[in-house]
Amino acid sequence: MTPEQITLVQSSFDCLEPDLPALTRRFYRELFARDPALETLFSTDMAEQEASFARKFTEIVRVISDLDEFLAHTRALGARHAGYGVRVAGYQIVGEALLEALAAILGDRFDAETRGAWTLAYSLIAETMLQGAASTRHPI
Amino acid sequence: MAITLEAWPVIGRRSELELFERTLALGEQTGLLIHGRAGVGKTRLADECRDLAAALGHPTERVVGTRTAALLPLGAVVGLLAGGFGRPGPDGQVHAVGLFEDARRALHERHRGRRLVTVADDIHLLDAASLALLGYLAGQGTIFMIATVRSGEPVPDLVSGLWRDGRVERVDLEDLRREQLDTLLHLALGGPIEAGAGRALWEISQGNPLYVRELVLGALEAGALIERSGVWHLEDRLPTTRRLVDLVEYRIGGVSAEARSVLDRLALCQPVELDHLEAAAPRGVLESLERSGLVTIALPDREVRMAHPLHAEVVRAAMPATRARAILLAEAERLETEDPTDGPAALRVAVWRLDGGGRPDPTVLIRGAHLARQAHDFRLVQRLLEAVPDDQLDALGNLMLGEALYELGDFQAAERMLARGESLPVAPEIAFAIAVARTGNAFWGLCQPETALAIIAQARAEVTSRPFLDRLDVNEAAVLMFSGHPEPALAILARIAVGDTRMQVVRAIVEAPALAITGETSKAVAIAEAGAAAHSALDEQLLVAHPTTHIFNRVFAMTEAGQLSAAEQIARAGTEIAAADRVPIAQVWFAANLGRIAILQGRVATARRHFAEAAGLAHAYHLAGPRRLALSGLALAYAMLGDAVAAERALRDRDTLPAFGFVGPEQQLADAWTAIASRRPAEALARFRRAAAEAAVSGHRTAESWLLHDQMRTGGADASARLRQLADQCDSALVAARARHAGAIQARRADELARAADDFEALGAMLLAAEASAGAAEAFRRAGDQRAATAASRRSSSLAAGCEGAATPGLVQTEAVVPLSKREREIALLAAEFMSSKDIADRLYLSVRTVNNHLQSVYTKLGVTSRADLAQALRTRS
Repeated sequence: MTPEQITLVQSSFDCLEPDLPALTRRFYRELFARDPALETLFSTDMAEQEASFARKFTEIVRVISDLDEFLAHTRALGARHAGYGVRVAGYQIVGEALLEALAAILGDRFDAETRGAWTLAYSLIAETMLQGAASTRHPI
Repeated sequence: MAITLEAWPVIGRRSELELFERTLALGEQTGLLIHGRAGVGKTRLADECRDLAAALGHPTERVVGTRTAALLPLGAVVGLLAGGFGRPGPDGQVHAVGLFEDARRALHERHRGRRLVTVADDIHLLDAASLALLGYLAGQGTIFMIATVRSGEPVPDLVSGLWRDGRVERVDLEDLRREQLDTLLHLALGGPIEAGAGRALWEISQGNPLYVRELVLGALEAGALIERSGVWHLEDRLPTTRRLVDLVEYRIGGVSAEARSVLDRLALCQPVELDHLEAAAPRGVLESLERSGLVTIALPDREVRMAHPLHAEVVRAAMPATRARAILLAEAERLETEDPTDGPAALRVAVWRLDGGGRPDPTVLIRGAHLARQAHDFRLVQRLLEAVPDDQLDALGNLMLGEALYELGDFQAAERMLARGESLPVAPEIAFAIAVARTGNAFWGLCQPETALAIIAQARAEVTSRPFLDRLDVNEAAVLMFSGHPEPALAILARIAVGDTRMQVVRAIVEAPALAITGETSKAVAIAEAGAAAHSALDEQLLVAHPTTHIFNRVFAMTEAGQLSAAEQIARAGTEIAAADRVPIAQVWFAANLGRIAILQGRVATARRHFAEAAGLAHAYHLAGPRRLALSGLALAYAMLGDAVAAERALRDRDTLPAFGFVGPEQQLADAWTAIASRRPAEALARFRRAAAEAAVSGHRTAESWLLHDQMRTGGADASARLRQLADQCDSALVAARARHAGAIQARRADELARAADDFEALGAMLLAAEASAGAAEAFRRAGDQRAATAASRRSSSLAAGCEGAATPGLVQTEAVVPLSKREREIALLAAEFMSSKDIADRLYLSVRTVNNHLQSVYTKLGVTSRADLAQALRTRS
């Protein structure tokens, strides 16, 4: 990522932070619309699930400018998700749902550059989570 | 930072690894075929699969097809022949079936029935016997084969047969997409990379992982790719390493001599017209090159290029100098004959002649330099003009060379060239242009405003014509404006006639920021916009600043007007243009402007990043004045984050630089806030006062408003009357909001403080809004309105949450939130679930009246008025 892209991701996140609950709800809606089967992967308590997503998402965006912290967070998260049985295709769908939700919440602020920066940020998050997932060597 | 080949991460290959893992686990198929172009990462993926298999407890083996091993039957697969090369059968011969069966049994026993995961790399290079053995073992389920095949090579019948029968999974690897490449670079380098460097690596590698790796390692080794303040920068061209040359040679090594000759020509001179190549090469040569994917032919313009940019680089690097020279000179000759005009062809001819080691005609070089100048390629301008013998470089040539050296940051050399140009016999307009360039170099480069003014005075004595005098005036105005005297600058501009387009352009560059500084923000925005429009209408751009100058002037004026988020968006777009055009001065100004905007928005950590980037870039390109500005901003951001040590450090760095008067009073915010962070409040307030007084004298109205308002918000003396005056004199929503806030602070009026918070929030100035709301909370409490006090206090916290860790005195909470009693909490939680008072009363065995009384008290303590807000407030508190 370029330093400008990192700034852009963090500043657009700051801007949407008050709407984080709305973003989270929108994200899950987009996600389940793309793959209804995913719904069964989640615990029954969606409120808890949403809160935990928002917390984790905030943590990761905050440390994206500090690679060591970032890797520690994303790899551990990836390892946990391997345990939940999340597959590579799931990461693809999550990325689409997240970008869609960001577009919906950020509105006009989600211009081409902001989209580009988030696309890259998600690519970085997904690849490092998958590194973490691979480190568990969890048999399918 | 140690970066090794082994440490390179695997990017964009996870679904392939997952496919492998699943295929291996299911046990129905006998292998995985990995197919793709050279360098796409087939071997790496195969080895990752093998490592994964090993981690899952499988035994593994690796065989490699090579051109030499192919000569010896079974040479590559000795490792699989557990029992040696076999026992003779009854007829005294070693039979394949017996041999294979022995191997199978031995492997089965050795690995206790577990499948041996076997990488067969470059399987198309294996001999037939080795292939047969692999096929046999795979068919028997003894091994799981991971085969790699390069595209364009025939897939061995055995493997393609297995694949057709559905017994082998196949993956076709592609080069990385742009975001995958960027991810790879980020992880491999361990940090962000500057936009231009990322783009260069993408353009030349086209996402081929092997090329990327070689390019990056080569650039690291050559010191072309370096890390500065945590960001990777490309300081030079990407070098081609020996290994890269070998890789590419391997790819193109097989072509015929005629085809190679076409490639050589393209590598040096592409694009080349199709007709021209067809006339020179035998029939079929171009077709075969196109078919093998080495060249592409763009049909509408009939131009031929090499398909991969890296191939061109490598072919160039590998070509004997004599051959390159001959081709370049011949092509220059041809092009000059075909197109003797001054068009773009002139630049190509000049560069080819220079690269060809010829002694190009100085007029050709100078013509080429003109064209390179239009493309803002100052390195090329320097190269072309330094090739002209000194005594043949006329005044205009010296001017262009001096200007290029200035742009490249070599100010002393620039002054030498320009002075030399001035001493030559010269037309008045060139003499004038030289004076302008010398002024710019003296002011921006050498940081000597007095010298700059002296050069202008001297030039004024020598020119007589009105337009030249006007333009000297504009220049004097620029020097005055950027050394901290906007009003005299505007006075000079006021007496100049409107002039031509070019005049409007240069004038706008000075007038827009001068107006913004003195508080005429909407006029400043309009002039910057008109300047940009006029600039794009100029066809000849010599001696006019880069077009983005108007964009950052517009950003500056909009910021002063209080249009923060619009200014931010434009600045971000401008940053991209400046980075794409590689104009460091513009990149510095955009980063510094983004930093100022972020400070005003209260996004202090973001501001710190922008200012740090501006300071780093300004340092790299020897821009002392802008660097001073950026370091002031950096200190300010650190101080507002409460990091006194870092703020002091930035100030110390700043104070080693020569003075720079642009927004001079505003620069002193850094000193005052650093004093606050270092707990020297008296010093801070004195500094605010002194700087504001300087601003008042020099007409820096928006800066004066900023300084006086900061003085008041950090507990200093009342300046509300002066702030009101400034609000009347400036047409800025931000200056007006500061004045209203100051009035509210002075009057200690809770409702006005709350309105000030609204004003600031509407402007996007979140830190100021949070502080105003905290002030409102305090005032409400004094007035005995506990509910409004709590609401304002909660609003302040929620606004402050967006301020990225700002730690300013105005944010300090003066009141702890009143705790709820146990019963109140119990009722509040039920009410937050939208249970009616009646239901709550029933559940808790209370009267409805008691429930409502408790709820009323809860609403007051939490500062809310509805059940929806109640739920939100309870969440925030927990």
